[in-house]
Amino acid sequence: MTGSMVLRTRGLTRQYGRDSGLVRAVDEIDLDVPAGQALAIMGPSGCGKSTLLHLLGGLQRPTDGQVWLADHRIDTMSERALARLRRDSVGFVFQSFHLMDELTAVENVELAALLAGQSPRRARKRAMYLLDRVGLADRARHLPAELSGGQRQRVAIARALSNDPLVVLADEPTGNLDSAATVEVLRLFDEIRAAGQTLVVVTHDARIAAVADRMISMRDGAFADDSPLAGAGMAGTGSGRGSGTAAGAAAGTVYGGRR
Amino acid sequence: MAGRLLLVCRLLVRDLRRRPTETVLLLAAIAAATGTLTLGLALNGIADRPYQRTRAATAGPDVVVEPPEVTGTQALTALAPLTTAPGVTGHSGPYPVAYLMLTARGKTVHAVVEGRDRAPATLDRPAVTGGTWVRPGGVVFERAFADALGVHTGDTVSVDGHSLRVDGTAVTAARAAYPRAGWRVPGTPFTDPGGLVWVDRGDIAALAGGSQSLSYTLNVKLADPAAHDAFGAVSSAALNTRSWQFIAEEDSALAKQARKTMLIGSWLLAALAVASVAGIVAGRVIGQRRRLGLLKAVGAGPAMVAAVHLAEYLVIGLAAAGIGLAAGWLAAPLLASPGGGFLGSVGAHPPALRTVVAATCFALVIAAAAALAPVVRAAITDTVHALADAASPPRRRGGRVRLSRRLPTALLIGVRINARRPRRARLAMVNTLITTTTLAAALMFQVQNRQETHIGPSELVNPDDERSYHAMLIVIVVLCVLALINAVVSTWSAVLDARHPLAVARTLGATPGQATAGLSAAQLLPAVPGVAAGIPAGIVLFLAASAGQIRYPPGVWWLATALGILLAVAALTAVPAIAAARRPVADTLRSTAS
Ligand SMILES: Nc1ncnc2c1ncn2[C@@H]1O[C@H](COP(=O)(O)OP(=O)(O)OP(=O)(O)O)[C@@H](O)[C@H]1O
Ligand SMILES: [Mg+2]
Repeated sequence: MTGSMVLRTRGLTRQYGRDSGLVRAVDEIDLDVPAGQALAIMGPSGCGKSTLLHLLGGLQRPTDGQVWLADHRIDTMSERALARLRRDSVGFVFQSFHLMDELTAVENVELAALLAGQSPRRARKRAMYLLDRVGLADRARHLPAELSGGQRQRVAIARALSNDPLVVLADEPTGNLDSAATVEVLRLFDEIRAAGQTLVVVTHDARIAAVADRMISMRDGAFADDSPLAGAGMAGTGSGRGSGTAAGAAAGTVYGGRR
Repeated sequence: MAGRLLLVCRLLVRDLRRRPTETVLLLAAIAAATGTLTLGLALNGIADRPYQRTRAATAGPDVVVEPPEVTGTQALTALAPLTTAPGVTGHSGPYPVAYLMLTARGKTVHAVVEGRDRAPATLDRPAVTGGTWVRPGGVVFERAFADALGVHTGDTVSVDGHSLRVDGTAVTAARAAYPRAGWRVPGTPFTDPGGLVWVDRGDIAALAGGSQSLSYTLNVKLADPAAHDAFGAVSSAALNTRSWQFIAEEDSALAKQARKTMLIGSWLLAALAVASVAGIVAGRVIGQRRRLGLLKAVGAGPAMVAAVHLAEYLVIGLAAAGIGLAAGWLAAPLLASPGGGFLGSVGAHPPALRTVVAATCFALVIAAAAALAPVVRAAITDTVHALADAASPPRRRGGRVRLSRRLPTALLIGVRINARRPRRARLAMVNTLITTTTLAAALMFQVQNRQETHIGPSELVNPDDERSYHAMLIVIVVLCVLALINAVVSTWSAVLDARHPLAVARTLGATPGQATAGLSAAQLLPAVPGVAAGIPAGIVLFLAASAGQIRYPPGVWWLATALGILLAVAALTAVPAIAAARRPVADTLRSTAS
């Protein structure tokens, strides 16, 4: 898949309200995210970052413009098809975790796999593997209420990865976490990126932005700046739209050392 | 597939376990409605099916014939030709009958005394339900009559001064049950209320004071039981004939008033149950909205979301149907007795399929109706909204908010809580309206003259009234349970919904007492118009359902009822409100999202 675009938008627009109360939360955005790229989106509060992310993941429909995920045009898809797409190809991570309170950590992680129709045994195996990867194997049977904020977010990340999605979309994943927990989550994102997973992270945290291949600044619903990053010595460099390459596995070692 | 099924089941079980109180309340509300319906249906069959069963079990006659105006040998002569009349395929009797006075437990009442042989007859073999069949020197009571008098096997009663021991109780299909046994005023064709007893054929002449004063009754079987009218024409005009249809009709009249009470009651209860369920579901939706949004975010399609949601209500509905059916069926004998004039009265047999189906459908419809709104809403609201806020954002009623600024703190809080959720306030009003209406109608019922039936010189409680009274009691008990559920649920969802603003208010200096009073006030304010409208509505309802002279309770009673209901609402709502207000503010503020 290297080289092809995982996400593509053209003239993507989302408005709220009308007349004098009209807000163009996302304003004619053209975006190309190649496979394996880790993209950070930053910008002042209210500039439309969350809205953009929701549009990319098919949680919301645009007022105008087009979105492609892999080769599927998603802005015109039916709700059913969108749901299928979300569980097969998109992983969401939210600022406020959004775990199901009544399900244990491992049950939360296997949710998407079960929805996708996997057998309970396979779903459980994969969930345990992912929990192990995020360092929470020993907390698998705890309810979210019994986990710290950082642990909850790591469960949420494991859940986002459970169906091996094409792209992980994260909306201020460290917004509710303290710096120690943030470091943990950072490490996970770096691993995800290093493994070649496409990643779009909306964040205020410069440290998260620092692990990305590319950073976009937004202002008033539009891109103000779009720059490839050296990525703290990372191999992958996205040179603007459409030319990002997959992050090399070598990057993993750099961040592996940080731990 | 297995995975999805597992998921649906898991979410179902967890959600039910996570909200045990709501689940139980929902179960109770739907079960109450279903139970009332079952009871109503059971009462409909009360006279019907048991009469048929009794008739089959006792070889009930098609027609019973009596010459009302003659006694002794004259009567026997009048009956004799009938046994060989065309269309008659069998008979039993004629049996001697005397219309006497029976004294038991200090009451003297009319008794139809029938003389029978020890050997079973070909037609009308009364089925013994306790003790034994007649023996010389003994008497067997028709069961409903025994119930009304309170006599038991082994007691001693006196019939026109002769002491007899009670040998047993039995039921028959040849005469309507107490008090419609047809006690004949001597020398007239008129009948009075009375009960039936059987004695040994050899004893009856002595009891009646000579065989010449005995009447006779003949049980007849016809080739075509439907042709009893034609038979009536054949038999002479001086003969009194009672078809089995007529007797069945007499018996069914027994439960008529009770049925009417139940019918009106079950409408009121169904309305209240729907209000209950709506209230509970509205409370649940707050939690479920986010849950459904979350499911959608991880890729659950509309069908899956609906399945998760419906499964829950389906399970609750089915469980409630089971509970309601059982409860209604078990309560039915309470209304059926002392109509023990039948074999295997209501409740002794499993409910008819029709009843089961109707009750189950009813419960499922309530449950599905409850689930429908959230499911539709979940399907159409976009995921982002569902995730973003716990419930639909509160409405802002600027006018009320401004008005409330001039009120004392507690009222201010109350008015603002209701202004946030006008629909819940309306539900609270409907709840008190229905409750008050029913209680007002019950109060009207209570002050009417309870008729005691003259069964001879003594008065006995009329079983019809007794049944209506029981029906009323059941309706009121179920009503109170539902009203209680509604009040608590309504306050509790107000507590949950207003938790955050109240916590903020408390950080600004409102005391726990003011917060509690505010929550209570939020429930009390809409209750006032509910009570005010409910009392006249109850009176109108009673007037519409009854005839004859109506008595009204004094005005103070109404005032007391109104105040009592308002006090009960205040007390009921205070409990969850106090529980909520005692939680430390910081806890509430912290518990936002996970
Ligand atoms: N449901 C809505 N109705 C009306 N306006 C909305 C709605 N949701 C968002 N907006 C507006 O759209 C704009 C972009 O919102 P968005 O949530 O995307 O911002 P954001 O960049 O994520 O901000 P933050 O960093 O604070 O999360 C804001 O001006 C907001 O007021
Ligand atoms: Mg945002």
